[in-house]
Amino acid sequence: MPKTIRTGLIAFAFLSYLIFIGVPGRIGENALPILAVVAGLFFWLNLRREVGRKGDSVHVLRAGLQAGATAGLLIAMESGLFATLLGNGVSIQPVFDKIVPQNIAALLGVRPGAIAQAQVPLLRYLLQVVYFTGSGLLGALAVAAVGASLRTYFSRPAMVSAGRWLVIALPFVLLAIVIYLGLPNVKLFSTNRGTVRLLLTLVTTGSGLFALRLTRPGRERMAVATLLGLGVLSMPFALDQFQNSVMGIVFIYVMMGLGLNIVVGYAGLLDLGYVAFFAIGAYTYAFVSAPFSSPFIRSLLLDLGVSADSPLLGYWMALPLAMITATIGGILLGIPVLRLRGDYLAIVTLGFGEIIRLFMLNLGELTNGPRGILQISQPGLFGLAPDAFSSGQLSSQGWIFLLALLSSALIAFIAIRLNDSRLGRAWIAMQEDEDVAQATGVHLVRTKLLAFAIGATFAGLAGQLYAARQINIFPENFSLFVSIDALALIIVGGIGSAPGIVLGALALKGLPEVLRGVDEYRIVTFAALLVIMMIVRPAGILPSARRRFERDSSDLDDGEDEIVVNSG
Amino acid sequence: MARHAETAQKLRIDEQAATRYIGIAILALIIWRVITVGLAEGYPTSFWISQALNGMVLGGVYALVALGYTLVYGILFMINFAHGEVMMLGGIAGFFALQFAQGQGWMEGPWLVVVVALLFIMLIGMVTSVLIGMTLERLAYRPLRQAPRLVPLISAIGASLFLQYSVLLIFGVSPHSYRKPALISGGLRLGNVFIPYTGAIIFITSVLLMLALYFIIQRTKLGRAMRAVAEDRSTAALMGVDVDAVIVVTFMLGSALAGAAGVMLGFHNTVVKFNSGFMPGLKAFTAAVLGGIGNIPGAMFGALVLGLIEAIGPSALGIPTEYKDVIAFTLLVLILIFRPSGLFGEVLSEKKA
Repeated sequence: MPKTIRTGLIAFAFLSYLIFIGVPGRIGENALPILAVVAGLFFWLNLRREVGRKGDSVHVLRAGLQAGATAGLLIAMESGLFATLLGNGVSIQPVFDKIVPQNIAALLGVRPGAIAQAQVPLLRYLLQVVYFTGSGLLGALAVAAVGASLRTYFSRPAMVSAGRWLVIALPFVLLAIVIYLGLPNVKLFSTNRGTVRLLLTLVTTGSGLFALRLTRPGRERMAVATLLGLGVLSMPFALDQFQNSVMGIVFIYVMMGLGLNIVVGYAGLLDLGYVAFFAIGAYTYAFVSAPFSSPFIRSLLLDLGVSADSPLLGYWMALPLAMITATIGGILLGIPVLRLRGDYLAIVTLGFGEIIRLFMLNLGELTNGPRGILQISQPGLFGLAPDAFSSGQLSSQGWIFLLALLSSALIAFIAIRLNDSRLGRAWIAMQEDEDVAQATGVHLVRTKLLAFAIGATFAGLAGQLYAARQINIFPENFSLFVSIDALALIIVGGIGSAPGIVLGALALKGLPEVLRGVDEYRIVTFAALLVIMMIVRPAGILPSARRRFERDSSDLDDGEDEIVVNSG
Repeated sequence: MARHAETAQKLRIDEQAATRYIGIAILALIIWRVITVGLAEGYPTSFWISQALNGMVLGGVYALVALGYTLVYGILFMINFAHGEVMMLGGIAGFFALQFAQGQGWMEGPWLVVVVALLFIMLIGMVTSVLIGMTLERLAYRPLRQAPRLVPLISAIGASLFLQYSVLLIFGVSPHSYRKPALISGGLRLGNVFIPYTGAIIFITSVLLMLALYFIIQRTKLGRAMRAVAEDRSTAALMGVDVDAVIVVTFMLGSALAGAAGVMLGFHNTVVKFNSGFMPGLKAFTAAVLGGIGNIPGAMFGALVLGLIEAIGPSALGIPTEYKDVIAFTLLVLILIFRPSGLFGEVLSEKKA
């Protein structure tokens, strides 16, 4: 089978998938052009590889034409089949939920009624073929245009320098736009201004990390870092409730990611039950700050003669308690799994996370079971109640965001310092080879337990802040997916690197919120991006220096060693 | 630092001994609990037998799925997190095949027709799962063959989510319920013990499939190639084994078993939905680890143990059935404390994991 036909078939499979999940019907009347553009993008990505082999643009154009025509013909046949079936009164919906007249009509650019009456003009199918052939050509044109000449033009020293300054300036420009969008009388077409602003906020924060990476170490980096830090710190005051709440959860996950990174990234212990410590922190704070919602705690406190009106401890008083309980949880998990390696460790930690969740769900006396714990008190500062903030500039969610920001900065500082410490080197040594590490004097038990304990402490902190953010917490908030999200974000961002973790959290917890508008497609998009991301950049978006070095040096040998080097 | 070293010296806990003491303490607690609570309830023997039979049926299904995990792990050292979804998709395909068969009236026909129809449904489920498994390997795992260990895991998690929610989008939210044909909806009564036909069929089919797999692995050329690749991939390649082909076949075998399990679980639970592969997948993985991951008889045995414990555990310990997952995971932790690489684990974990 020629390669171009294969490209067309893959494009057809991809487009068919979009049809089966009902994308055309969702887009509406402009579905065909939009899908054609998406297909064009796909062809561009796919044909780029052709250029390397046979440079001439005629070849590329012919390839694009063939691939586009293949996809177009097949799509026309598929929609013809569905249109005919639907027109003859066959109901496909019991099997394929989204194959309804409306969906196919959008794909053909006709009214849904025309499908039901089987009156689709043949011209419509021809138009589909033309559109997708066009998109193939468009993709090929883009490949031919953005050829090698353009690439050499952009790699001249002057252009590189200009590009560098452009990237460094980008976050500041974006920040200005974000703040401008927050002004009360700004209109932005008819779209949801809050969502656009959220997206820009995420991009601003993310581009700041890239900017920081591009600066030269020394004075330049310090200056940019300070400015960026001030910019990010001003965000909670500038954003509104919605953006602040999303940024709050993003940075709560940054806190978790930094903690999990100690366990997985530094010490190399694959922990899939990290949510347990998050839950322990959250529930500890819930018990002491909303003490009368659970029968057991209520009776305990009444026995102790505590009055039933106010929370037992405030946020700051509960902080050490949440940390200590989470740490104890970390050590308790750590002891039995000391001897386990790799995937055995993964499944046991996963089991531990599930056990904690099931206990929360079923120990109704203590945790209220699925009804959860309600009315957890909000953190104050110097005797100021959170209400005082919401009347002023800072909304209650902004306050959470600010706290999350400061806490994750503190945790990042501790984590980076730990990584550079004697303990950090012991972790790395243990990750590389436990036996050798032990032989060179690393106390394995202590080193492992410290990794679990420190990681758990950070998760406990994150959990406490999460409980304060949610106000009401339920066992469902602490499912396995929290662990998976935390693990995914450190790997997407670049394991072992703190900026990478922030970026991962922005991408994995922030972007899905932007996609709320197309809620039903949120998770499939996220999941597909996760897979693609792993294939395109397995080391993460912003890999740590050590990993980058490892990857570059492992290109020299056959790569077999890589498997051993990074094993858990 | 000096002070730390001193305390460490003073405590001088031998980690193995410490974990072993904890394990023994928990074990003693469980035995005490079984004797004082579970046996004191005074359930009739028939109750225990039917619980055990339930457990064996569940264990058989877990075993089929666990074999998929263990086969892939043995060769690629990766946890195929999306395996539960491969099973679920087999169940979905089986549902539509059943719909079709019922539409044709095959399910009311003579018993031979029903049996052939059931085999046909099973085959459809298996073929679908095989196709999905192959696609998964080609798209999500093969590009990552040389990547660090965690990367394919994340890719697998992404694939798992993708498959789940694609099913939700494509086939809709309403759960698909299997309607058992009249021929197999009854059961056999032996004294006070009631054995549903579906249960018996599921168990027997699982055992047959497992035997078939064992035959393939141990007696055929293909199986020898698979074992060679599991032992040492690069040496096997040097000996003329087509490693890529063996990996694809491994995925196909595992997925075929998962597809069969999906259809049988559909008949057992009567419902298949987008997320119904998740928990059985997790349990099957637990079972595979329990038996020593990468070890085929280990996966079968681990799954049976897990199924039995899950069915008998709650009544034996006198605790609510909601805790059956807690029991399963606690058992796992306990066994791994005593045998860190599973019941039949080799020294593999020292060497490769």
